[in-house]
Amino acid sequence: MEVLARPYDLWEGIYKIWLIITIIIYAVVAIPALYFMIRYRYKPGDREVGDQEHEGHWGLEALWTIIPLIIVLYLATHGFAVFTQMRKPPENALELKVTAFSWGWMFQYPNGKVVVASAIRDTEDKKCRPEECYGVDGVFQQYVYIPAGVPIKVLLTSQDVIHSFYVQPAGVTQDAVPGRTTYTWFQINKPGEYWVFCREYCGQWHSRMFAKLKVVPKEEFERWLRGELADSGHESGKGAVANINAEAQEVVR
Amino acid sequence: MREAVHVEKPWFSASIWEWIFTTDHKKIGIMYGVTSTLFFILAGLMALGMRLELFSPGAQYLKPETYNYFLTVHGTVILLWWAIGVWASFANFLIPLMIGARDVAFPRLNALGYWMFFAASVIALITLFPGNQIMTMWTGYPPLAAKEGVGFAGTTALFVFIWHLTGFASIAGAVNFITTVIRMRQPGIGFFNLNLFIHGVIAANVIQLLGVPSVAGAVTMLFLDTYLNTSFFDPTKGGDPLLYQNLFWFYSHPAVYVMVLPAFGIISEIVSAFARKPIFGYKSMVLAIWAIAVVGFTVWTHHMFVSGIPDWVKILMSYTTLLIAVPTGIKIFNWVATLYRAAIVYRTPMLYALGAILMFLIGGLTGIPLGLPAFDIAVHDSYFVVGHFHYVLGMAVTLSAFGGFFYWWPKVTGRMYSETLGKTSFWLVLIGSNLLYFPQLIIGLMGMPRRYYDYPAIPEWVTLHQIQTYGAFILAFGLFIAIVALIKGALTGEKAGPNPWNSNSLEWRIPSPPPPHNFDRPPKVEENYCPHKYRK
Repeated sequence: MEVLARPYDLWEGIYKIWLIITIIIYAVVAIPALYFMIRYRYKPGDREVGDQEHEGHWGLEALWTIIPLIIVLYLATHGFAVFTQMRKPPENALELKVTAFSWGWMFQYPNGKVVVASAIRDTEDKKCRPEECYGVDGVFQQYVYIPAGVPIKVLLTSQDVIHSFYVQPAGVTQDAVPGRTTYTWFQINKPGEYWVFCREYCGQWHSRMFAKLKVVPKEEFERWLRGELADSGHESGKGAVANINAEAQEVVR
Repeated sequence: MREAVHVEKPWFSASIWEWIFTTDHKKIGIMYGVTSTLFFILAGLMALGMRLELFSPGAQYLKPETYNYFLTVHGTVILLWWAIGVWASFANFLIPLMIGARDVAFPRLNALGYWMFFAASVIALITLFPGNQIMTMWTGYPPLAAKEGVGFAGTTALFVFIWHLTGFASIAGAVNFITTVIRMRQPGIGFFNLNLFIHGVIAANVIQLLGVPSVAGAVTMLFLDTYLNTSFFDPTKGGDPLLYQNLFWFYSHPAVYVMVLPAFGIISEIVSAFARKPIFGYKSMVLAIWAIAVVGFTVWTHHMFVSGIPDWVKILMSYTTLLIAVPTGIKIFNWVATLYRAAIVYRTPMLYALGAILMFLIGGLTGIPLGLPAFDIAVHDSYFVVGHFHYVLGMAVTLSAFGGFFYWWPKVTGRMYSETLGKTSFWLVLIGSNLLYFPQLIIGLMGMPRRYYDYPAIPEWVTLHQIQTYGAFILAFGLFIAIVALIKGALTGEKAGPNPWNSNSLEWRIPSPPPPHNFDRPPKVEENYCPHKYRK
């Protein structure tokens, strides 16, 4: 069975292990605790004072030091292995250069094509209805086309403050730090629309810093990349990019 | 020159003049408590404002900059005034009483520390005036925090001064409490029969002493970058924004233990007193506290797992982060074992302490995956993190602080609070908190980023946000009842005897409220003195 997105499949594995261990530990602590709370209540004439000699038990204390130690060492080592796998982008990955700015990202494809996903900055914000605030208008906020089933390596940087880049279905987050290039990778197998959010607080419109990924079959993506797809907003996009860049520069200053 | 320790009347009959110039540890403790609680209420009201805004998607009542301001003040105030500041109140009032001293080692320094804290409070209030808002978040990451203005940081200087002044108060307090406990104990009270509360507070103060200089340096550089054109953190001039994050978290992660170790201490005091038996595994409790304090300094980069640091550092600090779970687990197991063959008296402080243990366990278990970079990569800076630290701070710390208020209220005021109101407040707080914080964990796993003023109208997200808002109001109502119970108790409650809880600890051997000089004669402790025992 094909997974929806990578490396989310790896994340799900470690998530399930953690969840099971967590539920077991909670039960191991809470069930005896609740039992003692009910069983050893103060009862006048019968149980007025607790057992004064019961001050510790060497074996028990060693037990609940060593077993948790083994569990956390296992978790950290397993996490180490999974993380190493997660961080390695496949060889054939498509490279996408992403530059964050306040408040949006500029995506550069290998053939030089540029797409901008910028927050709709409506100063009289009361007018912006929820579906509009997070909508794609094709000018400032353009669809980011991604081929289905192809690994994408993202090279990230920022031109002003620290932002971040979170691909919801793939479960990857990476900060975009000015003066540095960081990377992450993901792959989405099923065509559709998916969210990208900024997760590092970056000022006034942090909450509206999002992008919509439009995952399409590979052939359709190739046509879009060559500018043959009507929906691409290609021409109007160019003007918008210039505007956004000018504005972003202004913000920096 | 006036004597440093100058107390004639009990604390409750002091004049305004005496309050201002006092060097009495009890009065200073009460001033810390009142200041912390008032700011806790302020930060709580701001949280209610944010919860109303998030009740549905789209802009509701607040502007984004106002929301960001509320969020910054909520974070800063809850951490520095409440989760750290409130322990200065407990430590001031209780440490000298618990070790049989007449005051702290440096009473004047103590007073200076409080007034620095007060000055920080004034600066926090100045941010309420238009044009002075801070929108840096409590972390103040540059380059954002070095960009003044409404869309970005607001007024950076005020953010920096808050850190400087509270940091000064912390260091003054740390020097004072550490010296007091080392030098002023009654003979017979040693390292292994100190109150666990004192161990918690002193470990926390050692962290303060070693850590605060790091964050003070970081915010000072931030100040210089902002106003004097230096470039410590400005990449366009050769600086590095991640340097700030390293310096900041080198203190601010251990600071989490500054907040939670005294809470552990209070839980131990309360659980042992109401179980009417000695704390189980006292020595391993002490060692666990100090292990947490030491290992806590080696885990800070888990706050930076997605910031672009090398992968090997992430793995290294992933191991150290998870190791903290071991001593923390020891403490939880020991508390549970204390309940075995006990005679548990269910009074309000005990409910709060038991609630704190079972809720802290959720906070701890949700913290473990955040220490694994492989897990963290999907939930970093999401609501999952928000849920996790609210289980620790909003539950473990706040429930133990209120547990502590109820527990020592008869000692501080000489009067008993109303048990009905106290217990009602506990159940409301417990239910409200869980309705508020548990959905945060779920919505975080779904991907909801933190520090969002608005969010897309995804149906599950809307529902989960609405549950949180209902929970927040139940929680607020519960805390209101708790405060009413305490104030009503102080004014009209029944008179409490010197030792209403039958505890063996020294503070319960003097009248309630304590006389001006605490002990008329230095108290002699019995051989094999242990503070966590039943005493008729």
